[in-house]
Amino acid sequence: MTWNDLIALSPILILALSSAALLLAGAWWPRRQALMGLGCLAALSAALVAGVLEPPTEEISALFSAGPYARYFTLLWSLVAALTLLISLRYGRERRFSAGEYSALVLFAAAGMALLSSAISLVGLFLGLEAFTLVLYILIAFHRREERGAEAALKYLVLGAVATGFLAFGIALIYTSSGTFLLPEALAGLDPQGGLRPLALLGWGMLLVALGFKLSLVPFHLWTPDVYQGAPVPVTGLLATGSKGAVLAVLVTLGAGLESGWAELRPLLGVLCALSLLVGTLCALRQDNLKRLLAYAAVVQMGYLLLALMAEGGAGSGALIFYLTAYVVMSLGVFAVIASFSSAAGEAQALEDYRGLGLRHPLRGAALAVFLLALAGIPPTAGFMGKFVIFVAALEAGLVLLVVVGVVASLISVYYYLRVVIVLFSPDAEEAGLSPARGEESFVIAFCLAATLILGILPGPLLGVIAALIP
Amino acid sequence: MTDMTSIPWLTILVFLPLVGALLCLLSWHSAALCRWLALATSWGVFTLTAGLFAAFRQGGAGWLLYEDHAWIAPLGIRYTLGLDGISLLLVLLTGFLMVVAVLVSWRVTRFSAAYFALLLGMEAGILGVFLALDLVLFYLFWELMLIPMLFLIGIWGHAGRAPAAVKFFLFTLAGSLLMLIAIIGLHLVHVEAGGAPSFALEALRGTALPARVEPWLYAAFLLAFALKVPLLPLHTWLPDAHTEAPTAGSVILAGLLLKTGVYGLLRFGLPLFPNAAAASLPWLAVPALVGIFYAAWIAYVQTDAKRLVAYASVAHMGFVVLGLAAWNQTALEGSILQLLSHGITTAALFALVGMIDERAHTRRLDELGGLWGRVPRLGFFFLLFCLAALGLPGLNNFVGEIMILIGAFQTRPWWGAAAFVGVVFAAAYMLRLVQAVLWGPPRRRDFWPDLDVREGVVLVALALAALWIGLYPAPLLQPLQAPVADLLGQVPLGPGPGGVP
Repeated sequence: MTWNDLIALSPILILALSSAALLLAGAWWPRRQALMGLGCLAALSAALVAGVLEPPTEEISALFSAGPYARYFTLLWSLVAALTLLISLRYGRERRFSAGEYSALVLFAAAGMALLSSAISLVGLFLGLEAFTLVLYILIAFHRREERGAEAALKYLVLGAVATGFLAFGIALIYTSSGTFLLPEALAGLDPQGGLRPLALLGWGMLLVALGFKLSLVPFHLWTPDVYQGAPVPVTGLLATGSKGAVLAVLVTLGAGLESGWAELRPLLGVLCALSLLVGTLCALRQDNLKRLLAYAAVVQMGYLLLALMAEGGAGSGALIFYLTAYVVMSLGVFAVIASFSSAAGEAQALEDYRGLGLRHPLRGAALAVFLLALAGIPPTAGFMGKFVIFVAALEAGLVLLVVVGVVASLISVYYYLRVVIVLFSPDAEEAGLSPARGEESFVIAFCLAATLILGILPGPLLGVIAALIP
Repeated sequence: MTDMTSIPWLTILVFLPLVGALLCLLSWHSAALCRWLALATSWGVFTLTAGLFAAFRQGGAGWLLYEDHAWIAPLGIRYTLGLDGISLLLVLLTGFLMVVAVLVSWRVTRFSAAYFALLLGMEAGILGVFLALDLVLFYLFWELMLIPMLFLIGIWGHAGRAPAAVKFFLFTLAGSLLMLIAIIGLHLVHVEAGGAPSFALEALRGTALPARVEPWLYAAFLLAFALKVPLLPLHTWLPDAHTEAPTAGSVILAGLLLKTGVYGLLRFGLPLFPNAAAASLPWLAVPALVGIFYAAWIAYVQTDAKRLVAYASVAHMGFVVLGLAAWNQTALEGSILQLLSHGITTAALFALVGMIDERAHTRRLDELGGLWGRVPRLGFFFLLFCLAALGLPGLNNFVGEIMILIGAFQTRPWWGAAAFVGVVFAAAYMLRLVQAVLWGPPRRRDFWPDLDVREGVVLVALALAALWIGLYPAPLLQPLQAPVADLLGQVPLGPGPGGVP
C-alpha cells in the first residue's frame, strides 16, 4: 500500500481512525454530548474530504475504487452517519447510551458502508459488508434494557451469519471458476464458453442470496420487521438507509460488469423484484406499528430499486442512484421525526401513538406527512422524481410487466402511507406530554425536508452529477 | 399590450397563490389575519385573471401568452405554460370560484392557517393544470391539486371524512398513475422515432404512433380524465367526497376539479392521439347519455341535499361529455361554456346547502322545509340557482345545454333527442329539491338568521355571473372560436365504427 493509496482512502480512514479514537476517549472521558458531537464532526469532515479531495489514484490495492462513484457514496454515508449521530443526542442521553462506543460504532458502520460501495473486488465486497454488519449486530442491541432489541439483534445475527456463509461460499465458487477476485474478470466466469460455468452460476446465485438478505428482498425479508421494530430508532434509520444503500451501490458495480451473464440472472432478479413489490405491499397494509409498517414499505422500495437495477445501462444505474439518494433523505427524515417523538419512557411506535400529533405539533407532523407522501411517490417530492426516472429507464428497457406491477404496488402503497398521515391529523382529545423537538433534531428534519423537496422540484443538477459518475 | 408578453404573467398567476399560502402559514397565530390574507390573495389572482380576460377576450388562433424555459435538462422536461381561449375561460372561472371558496370558509377557525394555505395551494395546482403544456409539468400540477383536497376533506370534513378522502385520492391516483406510464411511453416512442427527448405537447403531438400502441396510451389518458369528470361508471368516489367535504371543498371539487378532466381530454387526450380519439368519440356518448339518466334518477331518490346536488353534478357533466362526443363547433363551444355555467351553478348550490347546514345542522331533506317563509333571502337564491340548474332560459345552464343539444342534433340527432329527455329528468330532481327545502310546513322551530352581508355578497356575485352567461354569453364564446376550430382540425371525426347513429 503506497502513500497515494492512503490519500485516496483518507475519507474512510478518517471515519475508522476517529472511530477508534472516540472508543478510547470514551473510556477516560465519558462526556456523552461532547463525544457524539465529535463523532458528528468527524463524519462531516470525512464527507468534506470525500467531496473535495481529488484522489491521486483510481483504485486501492485492487480492492477498492477511489473514483467519483466511490467518493459519491462515501460522502453520502458519512452524511448519514453525521445525521444519525445528531438524532441520537437526546435519544442516547435519555437511555444512558455510552457515547464513546455508540459514536465509534456508527462511524465504523459508515466506514464499512463506504468500503462496500467502493468495492471492485470480491474480497473488498466481503470486507466492507462484514465490517458494517458486525457493527450493526451491536448497535441493534445497544439499548441493553430493551428486550426487543436483544431479540432483534439475535435474529439479525443468526440470519446474518447464514448469509455470510452463503456469501463466502459464493465468492469461493466464483473464484474457482474464474481464478480472480477482481469483479470485471470474475464476471467473465459466466462466459458461456467458460469450462466451469455451472459453478460460477451457482456462485452468483449464492452471492445474490446473501445480498438479497441484506436488502431484505422477498423471500429473504423475514428478519426486517422485527429488526426494524427492535432496534433503537436512529439505528433503524442507519440500517434502512446506509446498509441497504451500500449493498445497492455495489450491485450497480456488479451489474455494470455483467455482460453475457446478465441475461441469465435477469429472470431471477425479475422474480425477486415482483415478489418484493407484491409481498411487501400486502404485508404493509395490515401493520399497526409504524416501524413494522416502514419495514415492509422498505421491502417494496427495494423492489423499485431492483427494477432500476434490471434496466441495464446508464439510464438504469442513474435512476437507481438518484432514487437511492432520494430514498436516503426521505427515510432518514421519517426516522428523525420518530426519534424526536420518542421520550424517555419509550419510542412512539404504535400508529395510535401518533393520533393527533400532527395537530399538536404541526411542524413535525407536516414534515412527517411530507416524508411519507414522498415515499409514496407523490409530486412534487424527491420520491416522485425518483420513481419517474426509474419508470422511464425500466420502460425503455422493455420491462413493461414489472412496471405495471410497480404501479399497482405504488397505488396500494399510497393507502398505507396515507393511513399514517390521516391518523397524524385526526383530532384527539387527550393531550400527551411530548417535548418540543430539540434544535439538532429540528435541523436534521429540516435538512431532510429541504433535500426531499429540492430533489423533487429541481432534480436536474443531481441528475447531471450522477450521469458523470456512473462507472 | 406589448408589455403583456415581456412580463411572465402566467408564472405570476401560478405562483401568486403559493406566496399567499406561505404568508398564511407564517401568520398562523391569527385566524383573522389568515382569512384576510387568503381573501386578498385570491382577490389578487381573480383581478389578474380578469385582466387577462379583458386583454384577450377577442381570442385568436394559437397561444395568447406563452412561456417556455428549460427545467430538468437531463430528461428533456421543460417548464412550458401557455394560455389560449379555452384556458382563458377556465382560468377566469378558477379565479372567481376561489374567491367564493375563501368567502364561504369564513367561519373556519380550526387550524385556519393550514386550511387557507391548502386552499391557495390548490388554486396554484388548478391554475397550473389549465396552463401547463409540458406533460410532466402538467402531471405535477395534476397531482399537486389533489393533495390539498385530500387534506381538506380528511381534516375539515364531516363525520365519515377519512374513508371518503382516501377513496377520492386512490380513485383519482389510480387513473393518474396509468397516465404517467402512458406519458413515459409516448415519450419513449417519440425518442425511438428519432425525436429529441421531450415531454412537450407540441413536440409529442407530431409523433407518428404505431397503430398497436396508440389505443393503449389513449386509453390510459382517457381513464385518468374520465375518472375526474367523472364519467359513468367511474363516478362512485364523487358523492362520498362531496358529502364529507367542507363547503369550500365541495365548491372547488364540483366547480373546478371536475373541469380539469374535460380540459385534459381537450388539451392532451384528443390532440395527442387523434386516430384513437376519433374512433372513441362515438363511444364516449354512451356513458355520457347513460350518466345523464342514471345520475338524475339517483339524484331524485337522495335524502341528503348535498348528495342530491353531487349526483346532479354527475348528470350535468354527462351533458358536457355528450357535447364533446358530438364534436362540432357549436357542441364543443357549448360544452366549454357549460363547464363555466355548471361551475357557477353548482358552486352556488353547494354554498347554499352549506349555509343551510350551518343554520339547521342537518342536510336531510325530510328535516328541512319551509325555508321560503323563514329565511326569504336565502330561499330566493336557492330557488334561483335551482332554476338555473334545471336549465331555465335566461339563466346560465340553458345556454350551454341548448348549444350542446343543437350541436348534437346536427351530427347525431338520436343522441340529441335522448339528451333532451334528460333535461326533463333534471327538472324532476331539482324541483324535488326545491319542494323539500323551500316549501311545505317548517319542520323546525328554532331561530335562523337570514343571509348576512358576506353570504349575500357571495350569492349576488354568483347570481350576476349566472345572469351574465344566461343573457349575454357572446364575450365568453368569442375567445373559444379559434381554439375550438383548431381542435376540430386536429381530430377529424370519421364516420363512427359500425354505423353508430
